[in-house]
Order: sequence, then structure tokens, then C-alpha cells
Amino acid sequence: MSDKTPIIKAIGISKIFGATKALSDVSFDFYKGEIFSIVGANGAGKSTFIKILCGYYADYEGEIYIDGKLIKFESPRDAYEAGIQVVHQSIEQGIVQNMSVAENLALEMIVSPDAPFVYDKKKITKRAMEIAKKMNLEYLDMEQNIQDITQSEKQMIIIARALATKPKLLILDEPTSSISDKEATMLFETLYKLRDEGVSILFISHYLTEVKKISDRVGVIRDGKFGGILHQPLEISQIVKAMVGDLQSAFERSYDEKGKKKLVLELKDLVVEGSSEPISIKIYSGEIVGLIGLIGAGKTELAETLFGIRKPVSGEILLEGKSANFKDIHQAIKHGIHMVPENRTVNAIIPEESIGVNITLPFLDFFSKYGVLSKKNEIKASKRMIKDMGIKCEGEEAKIESLSGGNQQKVVVARWLLMKHNVVILDEPFQGVDIKSRRDISEYLQKSTKESSVLMISSDIDELMDVTDRIMVMNKGRVISDEKTSQIDRDRLLSLITQE
Amino acid sequence: MEKFVAFAIKYGFLIVMAGSFLWFGLLEPAFWSWSNMFSILLGVTIVGILALGVTFTLIVDGFDLSIGSTAAICVMVSSYVMVVLNLNYMYAIVFSILLGITIGLINGLLIVKAKIPDTLATLGMMFLIQGLQLIPSAGMSIGTGMMLADGSEAEGEFAQQFLFLGQGRLFDLIPVPVVAFTILAIVTYFVLQYTKWGRILYAIGGNEKAVKLAGVNVERYKIAAYVISGTISSVAGILLAARIGRGDVTSGGGLLLDAIAAALIGYAVLGVKKPNALGSVVGVIFIGMLLNGLTMLSLPYYTQDFIKGVVLVAALIFTFGLSKSEI
Repeated sequence: MSDKTPIIKAIGISKIFGATKALSDVSFDFYKGEIFSIVGANGAGKSTFIKILCGYYADYEGEIYIDGKLIKFESPRDAYEAGIQVVHQSIEQGIVQNMSVAENLALEMIVSPDAPFVYDKKKITKRAMEIAKKMNLEYLDMEQNIQDITQSEKQMIIIARALATKPKLLILDEPTSSISDKEATMLFETLYKLRDEGVSILFISHYLTEVKKISDRVGVIRDGKFGGILHQPLEISQIVKAMVGDLQSAFERSYDEKGKKKLVLELKDLVVEGSSEPISIKIYSGEIVGLIGLIGAGKTELAETLFGIRKPVSGEILLEGKSANFKDIHQAIKHGIHMVPENRTVNAIIPEESIGVNITLPFLDFFSKYGVLSKKNEIKASKRMIKDMGIKCEGEEAKIESLSGGNQQKVVVARWLLMKHNVVILDEPFQGVDIKSRRDISEYLQKSTKESSVLMISSDIDELMDVTDRIMVMNKGRVISDEKTSQIDRDRLLSLITQE
Repeated sequence: MEKFVAFAIKYGFLIVMAGSFLWFGLLEPAFWSWSNMFSILLGVTIVGILALGVTFTLIVDGFDLSIGSTAAICVMVSSYVMVVLNLNYMYAIVFSILLGITIGLINGLLIVKAKIPDTLATLGMMFLIQGLQLIPSAGMSIGTGMMLADGSEAEGEFAQQFLFLGQGRLFDLIPVPVVAFTILAIVTYFVLQYTKWGRILYAIGGNEKAVKLAGVNVERYKIAAYVISGTISSVAGILLAARIGRGDVTSGGGLLLDAIAAALIGYAVLGVKKPNALGSVVGVIFIGMLLNGLTMLSLPYYTQDFIKGVVLVAALIFTFGLSKSEI
């Protein structure tokens, strides 16, 4: 906090949607040269608050002061002109495909109404270089197409563009959701530098480790109300408590190693596409096994090979002792290998259909006779999953797009736990999922995994430490470590993941 | 206000339809007669059947622009088989349907395997078929007793049984094409609403990738949608040939746009915002009724396309414009 008076004050902000009060009397201050985080469970009103701050809702109650001046936001343009810049979660939305790096950097100049009628390449490149300098991006080839650079470079370009307008407040909405850990670390370095230069940053992330690491102060929204301000030194448990109150300690899991566990899945010298390293692992019944590694370590390739999407180069997959090199997804499912793919919006959700339709999708054969669906059985099955997983909804007929992100993810997980299976693979199941839903899903997995097994893929250590019995580390296509979760040292695991 | 909008989205279209039904009848009592009712239905059967076909491709988020020309070429094929080749009318029906299946299959393969965008692939097919239908008869319409290329007279003629399909009436009242349309509509509705195939087709339209990752052979379903579209179009072609009783080279004109308009108007029925069988049927009947009623009130024929356009745009506003805009 380099400055005592806040540059932006939001006082008593409330917002009503129909009959529900999404936000009630929430106040936060933003100071110059500070990284401030806002946290809250899904549905707590976090995104509503941010949208108001960005001018998306004109009909909010409360007051927003910028430099001591009361400003009423009627449209996103108002917020923009008041110096509030947002970098949205989706990187793809922030860049213009088919344009060069320079054009993306100097986009404002190209689309501005004052832009000259004739496209002045020289001027644009010059302006782009100026903007690039702010984020140390001069090394980029300005002429190359934006599609040819990495995700994090694209993101840096978006941030650089936002900074070029000299914003009072820079809002970063889930900036790490589509970049790797390494890239995230680089992003944080940049944010520290910007903070020290006096930029005020509002950071929003589901990853509480990140929030803890980067924030000077943390503001909490809980059930639409102000939930307190936390100062450094921050503790994750303290943040969680402020967000959702005291959670019941996670389901006590009695994973009996000596019990009658049997070998469910065995990989023998399996070589997956794009790698030359043979993988040999064993997964037993009742186990929740984590697989961790950086992006590009080969986790997704392995999952896709098990699920019949890719063909193995060589080696064997044995399911309960029998060879199981499936030729397609349909076969894999038939043999009880289920997979919750990463990125639910792209890979899993049918947005305009109901929760029920989304849950039963892969198993319509089971719910139909001669092709005719038995809606009664479907509804029964969906209702059971909604109840067991604690999906918050108006009923199984509600459209899935009306749910919060965490509840949507529960539906996707429910889809693959609905029927009996041998192994369920979850690829990054907690991406964009709030802590409450994460606990619900984890608990359900721990409770329901008895005869079957779970393979959970993630690039987040803490997620896996929470849920799993065993964690395997994948590095450049090789499984280099396999340890019981209870015996794992977090720092050593981290070094295994990142070692060159 | 919100409730009113929700109500309008759901029932607005049907209320407008019921309202105009009353209005026409009050102004012109003959409008309400049974014979007029069936004449409206008969008038829309061909377009209605095509609208059912295009509904399948719209559901998988595709499009089939070749439906009109497929129907048209089946008119020519039926006529050629009976009049020029002098074969049994059953051959005419079988050849037409096989041709419809083939066209659908080619469309499906072009889109799914060759990865050509749906509108472009079927636009290409539309042109191809429009040209192809002219070749066997050297660009001439085919009718009983027509002059053949070698100077002789064609010996065949349209079979009575075949003509019955287009011109006959059950119980001296219900036109046969109306019966065919009704059966097809009910089957389509049932398949789309109550079977796993319908469910999967809709799911593919919603998120193809998710359906693929649920273990469904998406390519096969998409190809099937085009094959169904082609087959249904050929049925429309057979009925059209039977109705006009000759192989008219211009018979396909206007069918495509009318069918697509009806299917799109169908999005607005009951506010489902999706292509659906009931909507397509209601859409086509609505247009038919409107044109019939307005014609009775002596509206000139040349304003018909304009009216159809107005209805379509209004229905699209109902469907897309009135819903809450999300950021």
C-alpha cells in the first residue's frame, strides 16, 4: 500500500436479479500499487460484482468513486473511460485471429473511429513496439501471425494492450486458467513489477495458492455479502473459512491397502503417440490415483490412449488381466473405461439441453428399448445423481447452462459415474470449479470408489493431495515417481514435476 | 414484463395463428369449409414434407440446400421411367427413392469426410442436380406422347395408381398426399422426441465434440441426417410428379426457400428455439393458411413472397430477438 487514499471506492454495491439478491451491500477499496484479490465460492456474487465494476449492469445500487469522484456506470464504455481495464479469462476472446502480433498490440489504433482511412503499417508497427515494451515483449516478431505464438504470449499481449491505456485498475479474471504453471510464474513476476510501478491490480482466481502467493490483500464475498478483508500473511485455510465457513472435514477415507484389492488396470511398456518412453503402471480397485505433470508432459496423450481416442504405438493395456487396446471410445466405454475430459465447455456440455439429458448421454442404449427412450428410468437415474452429488438446481429438467460452473462440472462428473465402470479418468476435473463444488466432487469420488478405480489427471499439486491415495509424476512422457499421498513431500514433488 | 415476454415467446406464434384463423373465417365464411381446409393442407404437403427433411439437417447444425432440386429431379426420373422407358410405376418410385438416398449419401460424405462446409457442399449438389435433371430429356418436359430424340412418340404413360398418390382422395375427402404428409410428420416427431437417435441428433447440434467423447459415432449420425433429408425429398418429388402428372422441368422452383422458411418459422413455435418436427409442420400450415386466406380476401398473387418473408422475419424476431441478451 504505497498510497493511503484509495483510487477507487465501491460502496454498498447491491444487485437484484428477478427475485434473488445476487449482491447485497458489498464495499471494497482499491489502492494504487496494490494487488487485491476477490474470492468467493461459485454463485457467491463475485462475478456480479466484477461485472458491475466493468459497467455491464447499469441497474446496480450503491456508489462507485474514482479519484474521489462519484461515477455512475451505464455501460462497459463508461468503465473503460473511467480507467478500468479487464483482461478476460478467455484468451481467444481477447485477440483477433488472422491478425499479426503488431496489429493485435495496436488494435485500439486500428479500430478507433479516428483511425485514418488508409492503413498505415509503419505507424501501427511503431505503436505496437511502444506497447510491447511495457511487458518486455520486444523480442516477439511483430510480423508473425498471432496464432503462431504461445498462449501466455497472447495473454501478455492482451495485458500490454490494457496497460497502454494507462488504467487506474487492471482486472485480471482467471488469468492462469489456460497457461502452464511455468508461464503463470512468469506472469506473477510481471504483475509484481507492475505493482511496484504503481499499477493497481484486481486479481481473480479459483486457485487459492495463487491468491495467497500474489495478493497484498484479499476481499471475500460470501453469499452475496461482504465477507471481510484478509491481510498478509495469508493462509489458505483462513481464506477458505472466510469464503464458505467451516467445512466439515472431508470424508474420512479408509483405504485399506491390505484389503482384497485387485488389479484393475495395468499398462505394460505402453508407448503413446508423440513419445518414445514406455509407461508401466498398475492401478488397483478402490484406489484414487493422481497423475501430475506440466502441460506437454504427456498426461492427456496417455488418457486419450486409454479412452480409445488415440492408438498406442506399442505395449499393452490390460483391464482386469485382459488385453484392452480399444479401437474407439465406444469400445472403451463398453469395457468400463469412462473419462471426464478437460475443459467441460468445449468437450462435455450440451449447453441447451437439460441436466438429465446431459447426464445420460453416453448410456442411451441402457435407457432405451428398440431405440425408444424410457424417460421414466432416465429421470430416476438423473435425480439420484443430482441428489448424491449435491447438484444445486431447480430439477433435472433445468438447462445445464443455467447452472454455475461448479455445478456444471458436477453434472459432467455425474455423467461418468452414473453407470458401473472399472476406471474413471478425470482430466483436470477442477478447472474453473469453486472450492465447495470441488469438495463435493472429491467426497463423492472417495465415497463411491470401491470396486472401481479413479485416475485423476491434474497440473495442480494441492488438488491431488486433497483427494488421492497415490500420486504419480509424469515428466517428458515418463512416469518418474509413484508415491503414497500420505508420504509425499510437497516441495520434492514440485521439483520432480519441473525438473529438466 | 419478463413474464409477459416469456409467455409471448412460448405462445405468441400460436396465438397469432389462431387469431388469423378466426379473422379469415369471420370475413369470409367459405374459409372455414372442410374443402378449403383440405385445399390448404394439400397446398402445403410438398413443401411440408421437404421442411421435415431439412429439419433433420438443421438439427445436427447442418443445412441442406439440395432438397428442392432433389425433389425436382425425382419428378423427372419418375416421369422418364414411366413415359420414356415405359416401365411399371413401381420402378419409378424405387428409382426415385434410391436416387434420393444416393444424393443424401453424397452430401453427407462431402460434408463429413471431405469436410466441405454444409451450405457450400449442398449448394454445389443443388446446381449439379438442377443441371443433371435436364440431360435425359434434352431439357424438355416429359409428358405422355412426347416426341423422342429419334422422332418416335413415347409409348409409356403415367400409371393410374401412380397418379392416385398425388390426386386421389380417401373417403372422397382427404387427399392422399395429406395422408402421406401426416404419417411422415408423426413418424418424424416420434423419432426426434422419443428415441435415442433423435436425442443424439439434437445433442450433436448442441456440442458435437461432447457427443463424440461420449462414445457416439458422430460421423455416421451426420451422414444419416443427410440421407434422411435426401430420402424425404425424393418422397416429396414422387408426390409432386403424381400431382402434376408430367415431368415438368420447372417443378422444383420455389420449393427450397419455402421449405427452409417453414422450418425456421418452426423455431418460434412453443418457443423451443430449435428445429423441430411440430414447428416445421405448424410453420408450413401457417404460411399456407395465410396465403389462402389473403387470396380469398383478393390479395394479388404477386405479393405472396413478400408475405412469406414478413412472416419469416417476424418469427425469427420471436425466436432470437425477444430472448434475454447475454453479455
